[in-house]
Amino acid sequence: MIEIRQVRKTYGRIQALDTFDLQVGRGELYGLVGPNGAGKTTLIKILATLVRPDSGEVRISGHEVSTKPRAVRAMVGYMPDVPGLYQDMRVIEFLEFFADAFHVPSHEKPARIERELERAGLGARANSFVEELSLGMKQRLLLAKTLLHDPQVLLLDEPATGLDPLGRIELRDRLTQLNRDGVTTLISSHILSDLEDICTQVAFIDQGRNTLDAEGRPVLVLQGLPEASLVTCEVAILGEPHAAVAAVEGFPGARVVTAAPGLLRIELIGGSQAAAKLLRHLTSAGVDLVRFDARGPALEDRYRSLFGGAR
Amino acid sequence: MNPMGHKELRQRMRERRAWLVPTLYLIALGAVAAISYKFNSGDPFDLGPWKEPQGAEIGMALFSTVAYTQLTLLLLLVPVLSAGTFTIEKEQRTLPALLTSLLSTWEIWWGKFIAALLFLVLLLVTSLPVLSLTFALGGVGFLDLAITTATTLLVLASMSSVGLYCSSYFRRSVYATSVTYAFLVALSIVTVVAFLLLERWWASQQVLRGGSQEPPWWVATPLFLNPYFPLTVGRFAKEEVILGLGVSLALFLGIGLLAAVLALRNLRRGYEDV
Repeated sequence: MIEIRQVRKTYGRIQALDTFDLQVGRGELYGLVGPNGAGKTTLIKILATLVRPDSGEVRISGHEVSTKPRAVRAMVGYMPDVPGLYQDMRVIEFLEFFADAFHVPSHEKPARIERELERAGLGARANSFVEELSLGMKQRLLLAKTLLHDPQVLLLDEPATGLDPLGRIELRDRLTQLNRDGVTTLISSHILSDLEDICTQVAFIDQGRNTLDAEGRPVLVLQGLPEASLVTCEVAILGEPHAAVAAVEGFPGARVVTAAPGLLRIELIGGSQAAAKLLRHLTSAGVDLVRFDARGPALEDRYRSLFGGAR
Repeated sequence: MNPMGHKELRQRMRERRAWLVPTLYLIALGAVAAISYKFNSGDPFDLGPWKEPQGAEIGMALFSTVAYTQLTLLLLLVPVLSAGTFTIEKEQRTLPALLTSLLSTWEIWWGKFIAALLFLVLLLVTSLPVLSLTFALGGVGFLDLAITTATTLLVLASMSSVGLYCSSYFRRSVYATSVTYAFLVALSIVTVVAFLLLERWWASQQVLRGGSQEPPWWVATPLFLNPYFPLTVGRFAKEEVILGLGVSLALFLGIGLLAAVLALRNLRRGYEDV
């Protein structure tokens, strides 16, 4: 759905992007992670047709963004890092304006606006002025505006910035729902735990280049882990861990990292399928499980190992 | 209607200045008309002996005074109404949302231009009754009113386009507004100074050569760019300098079109800045 090949972009002497590559498949919820000034915003602006790359190929659903910007805009919803809203407009007027700006057919306009107002939880605030809304509401309004024309691709640049915990949870749920509806999403964020919870894959970027992890991979798979990947399992149990430890040690590819009363941490090679087998194995071994949480490599650990030392 | 123009007009008419500006404008214009009538219809300071003027003379003097005042007031408002249109989008970070919508840069520009111009047209229309007062005194016809309104409108449209260009070029409203005012001052004053210098030079040449020829037409060319020139020529010297009027109007049209083209180019290039 999104294809980026060997993209370069400079602002004067600053190299914002340098032979960057990225492939995002249809229906994926893809994270973009990197330190400040890494080139994330430039990349998203290029995809949103706001900035032209100096060289390289950037395509969305087969349309080159530099030569077919209108076709790209019709299928893309872009939410910038700093929310720009017309403070002196009413919520409904704001949405009506952008429905017109995206050429939403007039007979569909009221229904779409009502749908997005309801989804954003702003139905009761339709006639409020934008300046009267809280920051979380404004962010939801911006997302509602971004979704008015039913984009196939969402480009979100730091969408959770400034949101309180409840706002972040709501945003996460909304993005997960959109992902289930088949919307392809590229999201840049500094809030790694949010990305870890919702993204299927994450790419690292630094100084405008793809950054490889310790295993030399440019992309970190977080969900639907392939067979060879390492999974960390956190297992909450009832009582002493001895029986559970014994059961884990009898499972191929598994290793107990820590064991304490009520909680085990296990490393397992074999991806999501091995994690499911381990869960069945522990249950059949008679371990009283309270919780079984299998995750890919912790994003925060990877981030620290990639960018922590240098900064 | 163009969604951009619809939004701009709605926002403009919601502001306090939507009623404040026309009110102050009409008060100022009405005051000037009253003072002009007083000065032109009798001996205001009782200095006598005073030749009682004809009604038509009073009408023409009053019409000219009001027309020039109207143009001056509207020119003063042009930067306020046009030079902030794109900079405000940059300042409140709404420009990326516009540029990534399906609105073309032309639609965005046109919506902003027409909203700025329509507000000036509103003021122009509200002042028509003041200008029409002179009909009762004679000396002024419907054609005078039409020419005055048309030339004023063309000059205002051109200067609004310049304001929009400045707005597309600068990041801050204060710079865009200042430069638009500077441009207006340059057109209004520098052109007159240039004309006077040329005329003085021509006169000195005549003295040196012992001649007494009238200055040729090109001495007046700097005035073609003066915003008051089309109004002056259109009102007072119709047949004699119709070519000069045409050139002047064409120059203002050209300035407006050039500013529009440059503003559109800035908007397209402005992707890099937003």
